[in-house]
Amino acid sequence: MRIDFFLVMAALLFTVGCVGVLIRRNVIVILMSIELMLNAVNLTFVAFAHEMRSMAGHVFALFVITVAACEAAVGLAIVLALFRRRRTTDSDDVSLMRW
Amino acid sequence: MRLLMGLVFVVMAAAALRALLPRRPGLTAFAAAVAAIVLVGFYPGDLATFDFWAGAVGFVSILSALLIVMHPNPMVSVLFLILNLFCMALFFLMLQAQTLAALQVIVYAGAIMVLFVFVIMLLNLKAEEGMRVGMGPQRWAAIGFGAAFAALMFWALRHRHGSAFVEPKAFVEGFGTARDLGTLLFSDYLFATEAASVLLLAAMVGAVLLAKRRLE
Repeated sequence: MRIDFFLVMAALLFTVGCVGVLIRRNVIVILMSIELMLNAVNLTFVAFAHEMRSMAGHVFALFVITVAACEAAVGLAIVLALFRRRRTTDSDDVSLMRW
Repeated sequence: MRLLMGLVFVVMAAAALRALLPRRPGLTAFAAAVAAIVLVGFYPGDLATFDFWAGAVGFVSILSALLIVMHPNPMVSVLFLILNLFCMALFFLMLQAQTLAALQVIVYAGAIMVLFVFVIMLLNLKAEEGMRVGMGPQRWAAIGFGAAFAALMFWALRHRHGSAFVEPKAFVEGFGTARDLGTLLFSDYLFATEAASVLLLAAMVGAVLLAKRRLE
């Protein structure tokens, strides 16, 4: 079985996530777009694991899921702290450390 | 592959419609559903094939990804992200990664998405404050960048050496099962597994500290 279809799907999903990170201003939606990109990378890992008949790609995808869990937990805690201090989830309103 | 191209065109049409009608997401979903039904009705081949189902799941995943990015309400975005994660689990099943598909549903769609849903409900976000997109130039630059990035990826895919490292080997017994994955995790990748556990601990401590109301 050719895996090109899955690679094309992963490329499209990664692009959509990337554009989402760039155009949206809501921090939670930006985090969700990052999850989308991580998932696209996972799909690529699993597709190549299938093509090379090696399970190393599955292990890497598992570690990506672990890192995504950590990132979501810490990121959402930061969003909560931000909302508590500033009453906003808009990334344009958080410009104190921007040059 | 012809089906895939058709699906991509349908999704692009839906996105254009969405851009023209910023306050009517329901209409876009309806139009996309009609387009999907028409596409299925005129599908030239047999419906019970692998290609058809892979294309259908791919269509749903792309559509849900676009809706995550474009929908004004973050709650709806989360629900479409869950749909997208289920599509990913189906892709994993098609690629004989059964354990990973189960983990995707349990850990990703089950645990991580619950976190997102709870935070959005806790913040009580309204649709209007969710939808602020960037200023004009940044928005168009981002869309142009995305198009260029997609073109680059397609170029890389077309020119990759399809059979450089692939002789069609047979699958080993137990490819993708939990037992083989666990064996691999605790033999070849033992250090990485332990490092991941430390990472999870650090993230847990950090999240608790950050979410505390005030530090004493």
